[in-house]
Amino acid sequence: MSVGTEIMQACIVAISAVFTQNILLAYFLGLCPFIGVSREIKAAFGLGLAVIFVLTCTVLLNWIAYHYVLVPLHLEFFRFILFIIIIAAFVQFVEMVIERYSPFLYQQLGVFLPLITVNCAILGAALFMVIRDYSFIVTIGWGLGSGTGWFLAIMAMAGIRQRLAHDRIPRGLQGPGVTLIIAGLMSLAFIGFAGVLQGQ
Amino acid sequence: MIVSTLIAVLVVSSIGAALAALLALSESYIANYGECRITINDERELTVQGGKDLLSMLTAEKIFIPSACGGRATCGLCKLKVLEGAGPILPTEEPYLDEKERASNVRLSCQVKVKGDLRISIPQELFAIREYRARCTRIVDLTHDIKLFRLELAEPGTMDYVPGQYVQLLAPKYEKNSEEVYRAYSIASDPAQRDVIELIIRLVPGGICTTYCFEYLKEGDEVRMNGPYGEFHLSDTDAPMVFIAGGSGMAPIRCILHHMKNTNSRRKAVYFFGANEVREMFMMDEMHRFESELPDFRFVPVIAKSDASEAWDGETGLVTDAVQRGLQNASEYEAYLCGSPGMIDASIKVLLDLGVKDTGIFYDKFA
Amino acid sequence: MKQSPNDAHLDAVLRSSALVAGGFMGDDPRRVMEVVDADAGALFGLGVTTAQVAQRLKEITERATRGLGTWVEIDEQYEAMVDEARGLLPCPWPHEGYYPKRVTTLKVVASGRTFRWSDLNIHMIEAHGFFEGKGSAFRIEPAEIVGILF
Repeated sequence: MSVGTEIMQACIVAISAVFTQNILLAYFLGLCPFIGVSREIKAAFGLGLAVIFVLTCTVLLNWIAYHYVLVPLHLEFFRFILFIIIIAAFVQFVEMVIERYSPFLYQQLGVFLPLITVNCAILGAALFMVIRDYSFIVTIGWGLGSGTGWFLAIMAMAGIRQRLAHDRIPRGLQGPGVTLIIAGLMSLAFIGFAGVLQGQ
Repeated sequence: MIVSTLIAVLVVSSIGAALAALLALSESYIANYGECRITINDERELTVQGGKDLLSMLTAEKIFIPSACGGRATCGLCKLKVLEGAGPILPTEEPYLDEKERASNVRLSCQVKVKGDLRISIPQELFAIREYRARCTRIVDLTHDIKLFRLELAEPGTMDYVPGQYVQLLAPKYEKNSEEVYRAYSIASDPAQRDVIELIIRLVPGGICTTYCFEYLKEGDEVRMNGPYGEFHLSDTDAPMVFIAGGSGMAPIRCILHHMKNTNSRRKAVYFFGANEVREMFMMDEMHRFESELPDFRFVPVIAKSDASEAWDGETGLVTDAVQRGLQNASEYEAYLCGSPGMIDASIKVLLDLGVKDTGIFYDKFA
Repeated sequence: MKQSPNDAHLDAVLRSSALVAGGFMGDDPRRVMEVVDADAGALFGLGVTTAQVAQRLKEITERATRGLGTWVEIDEQYEAMVDEARGLLPCPWPHEGYYPKRVTTLKVVASGRTFRWSDLNIHMIEAHGFFEGKGSAFRIEPAEIVGILF
């Protein structure tokens, strides 16, 4: 495929990753920090940005590791372990660099980085990249798109929860209960986007 | 089959090992700050290993900066001017620095991380502060919620202080308290006895240090404190003085009265001591002794409401009302106040109304 | 369930005795946000807002302060007294602000029952809806205090 077509496809993949195939609302990946951190918009914003950054970078690193190490050696079945090692090392490295060179960024985002390592959306994005056999350029679009999709979902949830903060919710449903109900309703709404893109 | 298994294991292990090595290397390079020079007041220089916060570096070099929270950015006492090398203000510092302070490079030294060379400015008074170890030799109940603690200094063995100053007492970890904190208490003892510090402490509900002092500290225990701190002290003039202090606020006044006796001061003084009920009065004997030992000292206890059951023929009502009634020629007087901001504000108002000059009003506000 | 790091840190600060002996949570096993939610529900049922509660508490503290540590009569059935200790307490929430260690004790003359709050409590109720955890020495039960204040 020519570079132009690849970039086109990257854009389509990105848009679909945000709306029609939102990694959180359609595939239910990354639910744990989603429920835990979506109480305030400020925290959700910080975590969402961190997820976009980490997801995009690690999915690209994983692409390189998969196609240049695992595939030539026929070790594709090791991808789960390898991807996790790469994600963990990357997050560790980023935290170190941020702490040294930007104390401000560290205060805002640094606290979320350990939370992201075990966010299954990050691993999930890398595995989808393998299953769907994306090229490098398309993977860029995929990484940015799914990160942004996750960001969008958690920001929307935070906004809704902040509105609900002073409302009276039945005792048993307070917290995670009502959040899951809201997430379900959001997923239903996002299904409305199906068919927006041709062939998706 | 075995070979391919071995290769597989080898490949993944070596990738893992390579990443771990990369991280370890980065850590020693990125997170290592090397040696940093801290220049104090443009005269003294310290060379330290970078990476920790400024406050702990200075404390390790025996320079004591006031701090009550142990570096967790919850007390705001450790302010210092960092002229160069501090980096941007952190969110944890922001609540404690106002416009003027930010403009003059004031920072919270417990939050400033030493990553390179720094130039800082420390006020001269802080150099006189030392950490002391002492033994609690006597605990006296003064009222139902006030006790006197007699602490004999062990190391260093003596403390030089100006009457009116305070120390920061360390409350160690105990059952309900998981952190060490420092709390300030005025020195109440006779300054001539340089090896003894007495503190008058009132139990505060929920108070970390007072709970320790009242429920855990026993005679014979060792305590730690640092000091002396504070700007509250007698002036150099001969003007007559009015003291207004209630409860544990008596501490610095008692210290000052001892000092007056020691120096044969002939200054006229009157002390208005306010309390809720008769049972909250204490050290009456000592105050009466001062009345006879000092040339011109009058002690005026004021009870808010006297119960019919207790015989009381002294002043009643609010202490500020008693001052209003009892102070003649107020404009000549200097005022020394120690107590809660509420009491001090009310007293200042009354004193100004009576004609006391506002430059002659000194106070040790609890806050 | 995961908490945001800020919430987890807040929980830790409130439970530790870094600011007050015994912390702010007493022996309440719930998380701070659950406590706030539950008390908000109670207030909603009573038809009162946190702003109104804080306002009344401030009024009583104001009047009692004029007594300079003595009991002051409030509205015939109550008496209040203010005690102040040296020092300032920062709010456990991460924002600007110090509060004097001023404790107001409100006594119901008829029964002798007392309620107690500090300036920091007033702020935490007003800004964060936090009445402290069950078992804490300074916890105010919304249901009880609303009956007294209004």
